Amino acid sequence: MAHQAHAYHMVDPSPWPLTGAVAALLVTSGTAIWFHFNSTILMTLGTMLLLLTMYQWWRDIIREGTFQGHHTPPVQKGLRYGMILFITSEVFFFLGFFWAFYHSSLAPTPDLGGCWPPAGITTLDPFEVPLLNTAVLLASGVTVTWAHHSIMEGDRKPAIQSLALTILLGFYFTFLQGLEYFEAPFTIADGVYGSTFFVATGFHGLHVIIGSTFLAVCLLRQIQYHFTSEHHFGFEAAAWYWHFVDVVWLFLYISIYWWGS
Amino acid sequence: NLRNTHINIGLRQLSRRTIASSARRQLDNTVKEKQKLFQEDNGMPIHLKGGSKDALLYRATMTLTVFGAGYVVYVLFTAAMPKKPQ
Repeated sequence: MAHQAHAYHMVDPSPWPLTGAVAALLVTSGTAIWFHFNSTILMTLGTMLLLLTMYQWWRDIIREGTFQGHHTPPVQKGLRYGMILFITSEVFFFLGFFWAFYHSSLAPTPDLGGCWPPAGITTLDPFEVPLLNTAVLLASGVTVTWAHHSIMEGDRKPAIQSLALTILLGFYFTFLQGLEYFEAPFTIADGVYGSTFFVATGFHGLHVIIGSTFLAVCLLRQIQYHFTSEHHFGFEAAAWYWHFVDVVWLFLYISIYWWGS
Repeated sequence: NLRNTHINIGLRQLSRRTIASSARRQLDNTVKEKQKLFQEDNGMPIHLKGGSKDALLYRATMTLTVFGAGYVVYVLFTAAMPKKPQ
């Protein structure tokens, strides 16, 4: 093995950026083809390719870090910057939808009845399931912190239990939101209220699913002894992401569910 | 004889232990073995270094990639030039 005289990671050539780019092309074109020609082959093919790419790319990163030791302190610092920058970009993503919500709700137009919520819209009671959802996500923030401390202390069983509990709480949130979506007295087609509600909460729900998946991968890795008490950045990244998802929900709850009702 | 008795007692204790641990589904720590596998100086890139399963998954992914890239060009081309009788 050639020895490097530096602490940085010169990665092996990899096919996954190419397969990922083709997957993105297939998913986007496939969606357009589905809308216009009622065929889902391209979009499905693209989604399969996307899943294969994500699985193999992240599998390789785990191999490079945990099995080959490439994630030295400077490399880990870069990974930390990367995750922080990515989450920041997601903050801006949600900022746009909050902008749309406040644009429409602070100055409701005459066609809405000049009021918010618009005339004819029966809003959801913020003190029923939405409040429970708030409690569920806040609790999951506690359990993920418990998991982190357990990992740092080298307590294997509490780490596994608290991480599993966090994921279960995430699933419970998704389940409750699914019920709310099904039972809601308004749809996405109900004017700007419906649009802002379902696009903002819908993207949030997608991020809860992504975050739960990330935590589930961490659970599998914790079970397989990948994490040490000193080095477990994958878990920290998942926990950061999870806290971000929780904070977005708090803003959604205050703005759309409570103030907007 | 005494040696066989010792072995039999040992085996009984071992089976008791394995039954107890299998009931709790203990997972062995295989990180050291994986570290050895992925640090082997065989010139293989990381995405193929795990063995034949890697090669199979890679080939399947690449096949879908090449086929998909060709297919999307075909679909978009035909979508852009519909055969419509004037």
